[in-house]
Amino acid sequence: MDALYIELAKLRKDATLTQSMADVDKIIEQLERAKECIVQDPNSASITLTKLQNPIKSGFDKVTEDLTKVDRGLKAYGKALNKNFPVKALPTEYDALASHPNLINRAIAMHMLREGQFSVASTFLSEAQEYPPQPEPTVGTPNPSEEDDGDLTSLKSRELQERFSNMYQILHELKARNLHPAIEWARMNSEELEKRGSNLEFELSKLQYVWLFLGPEVNGLPDDIHNGYMGALQYARDHFGRFQGRHLLDIRKLSAALIYRSNLRDSPYYRTFDTLTAWDDVSASFTREFCSLLGLSAESPLYIAATAGAIALPTLLKLASIVKEKRTEWTTQNELPVEIALPSSMIFHAIFVCPVSKEQTTDTNPPMMMPCGHVVAKESLQKLSKGSRFKCPYCPNESQPKDAREIIL
Amino acid sequence: MADHITSKLNQDTHLILDQPLIRLPFELLRKNFKVAHFTVEKEGSAVKTAVRETANASLTASSSPDEVLKNVDSMLARMKGLKRKLAACQEEETRLQQQSVSRIRHLAQLYEMQSLDDVKYEEWSRTRLDRLLVDYLLRHGYKESASALSKEKGIEDLVDVETFVQMSKIRESLRNQRVNEALAWCAENKKELRKMESKLEFMLRFQQYIELVRTQEQSKLLESIAHAKKYLLPFKDLYPKEVQQACGLLAFPPGTRAEAYSEIYSPHRWTILANLFMQTHNTLLALPPVPLLHIALSAGLSALKTPSCHSSHLSSSISPTSSSCITTSVCPICSTELNDLARNVPYANHTKSHVESDLVMLPNRRVYATQRLEEYSRKAGLADGMIKDLRTGEVFKMENTKKVYIS
Repeated sequence: MDALYIELAKLRKDATLTQSMADVDKIIEQLERAKECIVQDPNSASITLTKLQNPIKSGFDKVTEDLTKVDRGLKAYGKALNKNFPVKALPTEYDALASHPNLINRAIAMHMLREGQFSVASTFLSEAQEYPPQPEPTVGTPNPSEEDDGDLTSLKSRELQERFSNMYQILHELKARNLHPAIEWARMNSEELEKRGSNLEFELSKLQYVWLFLGPEVNGLPDDIHNGYMGALQYARDHFGRFQGRHLLDIRKLSAALIYRSNLRDSPYYRTFDTLTAWDDVSASFTREFCSLLGLSAESPLYIAATAGAIALPTLLKLASIVKEKRTEWTTQNELPVEIALPSSMIFHAIFVCPVSKEQTTDTNPPMMMPCGHVVAKESLQKLSKGSRFKCPYCPNESQPKDAREIIL
Repeated sequence: MADHITSKLNQDTHLILDQPLIRLPFELLRKNFKVAHFTVEKEGSAVKTAVRETANASLTASSSPDEVLKNVDSMLARMKGLKRKLAACQEEETRLQQQSVSRIRHLAQLYEMQSLDDVKYEEWSRTRLDRLLVDYLLRHGYKESASALSKEKGIEDLVDVETFVQMSKIRESLRNQRVNEALAWCAENKKELRKMESKLEFMLRFQQYIELVRTQEQSKLLESIAHAKKYLLPFKDLYPKEVQQACGLLAFPPGTRAEAYSEIYSPHRWTILANLFMQTHNTLLALPPVPLLHIALSAGLSALKTPSCHSSHLSSSISPTSSSCITTSVCPICSTELNDLARNVPYANHTKSHVESDLVMLPNRRVYATQRLEEYSRKAGLADGMIKDLRTGEVFKMENTKKVYIS
């Protein structure tokens, strides 16, 4: 990129139209001078004009010369562009998504809403409804219009917007170190959160305790009986009762810390009271839980998918150039023909690859566990056993196919 | 075999989606230069001729000083017009160069990052998504949304609203059955279009001809023949089929039952023309023919998709077996936004299992990591030796679980 940057700087310095403009000005000046001559002495018209011919011609030659310089500069920049940023073909021959523009629009609208860009989202929704996109037939979906494509009216954008604006409100308060709206939300949804095995409500309450405990110097709240360790103790008395069953250990720790309040830094509880990352942590887990209760992922799927796409594309393109002769497009296959490495943050499901067939298990070909605890895919099991007693491919154990049990990962 | 998990960042290949970002301003710069060049050539030769002719006329005394003055004035006017046009080109040039600077700077940021885990990468990638979104919106003609988004994100220098707005205008005019705007565009880009052997202008002229014949009025029919002679016949070697159709069309008025000709009268041709224009426009400016978002998404959906994403198993969308937290986030493919869209794309290829260590199976056949089960059960306040299914909430005795070995 640096080389390109230097070329561009050269272009901006040497190859602009500025010089040609100046030279055009010179021609205008000459014309104006000639005009003055003629006005002053009409009889000199023919001689003035004859004399003017050559300067005008050379003036234009100069302008053309300036332009040639610009042209050369542009060509040099173009060369640098080709060298430093060579053209790579994109896989555009087959656009599998062209038949689902409505689904893409819906995904975009939801993305905007969840990112809190409410005004952009509403502009988009009205524009997209006014000019609905035209689905184009693709190999996978030859008759896109006949399929019931989820349109934008089914989105309930207002409801979503309200929810997300609520979420942003709470996050905003968290940023301002105010836990109350978040705690209130967690309490209202405590049953569902508990079902998910989430401790969000307790984590938030715990932070509230810690925050009060640290006192006015840290939290900047008024210095009264509702603040400092007294405030914290009061808060614990009022609110921790409900958590006793599940979080007794934590609560004990929090209360025991009171003894060390004068010398917290050297106490065993120092870590509990370190709020350096705590606020970011609760904000992140709050966002995650909030979205999960809506059935949505915490990060925008559109963001993750587009990023994953950019990571996957080079590999897929390499592959595309190989399979081109065989005329099999990867987008029409059931499974990608090549493994794509992604960052660990982009792996969401457990993946089981049958050690025998090397295939991923699916609903129709689920993982089966033999009595010895080893797992193979159902189809592999059938092939191995042929209906009768067989040996596990991984240990000496023998079993009947009927003893194998389907597992859910 | 490539590793399953990576955070390696190879900038050169990673920027594959970002080619138009740098290419388009360059193409526009070239186009802008050609406009400037053309204007200078045209006005230059006109003024030079005018000077010579006026001088000659004045020498032979066939024109009065007043006439000479008038001629000089018109030359001056021409030159000032040239200057105005050049100034406009220069302004555009400065804008495009400034834009290129911002864009190269934006891409250069990526080269400062070491890996995909870099915190800066997320921000960069978010900006990229915004760029892809603007590109998508503009291609669909959602101008207001595109401008609003680029404004809100402050990425005006990284997106090409103006180019696409002009394109959409012409495309819209074609959809509304008007060819003039598109023809003007063809005239503007005559040389390039000829170089790429574009059929666009011929097809536009053909459509004009069809519209003349459609009226079935005597005068219009005569006009249509003149039109065909001027614009269609010269291409009879290049596009023999269309020229033949055009000739034959005179014998088949609209409403004909001859399928080959009734098709020609079909309004659907306008949509085809609009698409042909868009294709030509994009090729000319080195823009990819499909929205970049489609390219990124179809690769991304596949890379992320697993067979479980559309599985019928209860609540398999929340799969807690593969993340470090107790409660996990929903997988993006399982999330409502993309689930339907991903239905028809292939799922990712994996050659190795990716599961947690120390798995056990509960009596309900669901498999979890022991550690996670224990932690979850402790937080759920269960008695010792009891565990709770993370997804269904059923409670079992730990002794009823069975170890699972995944190789």
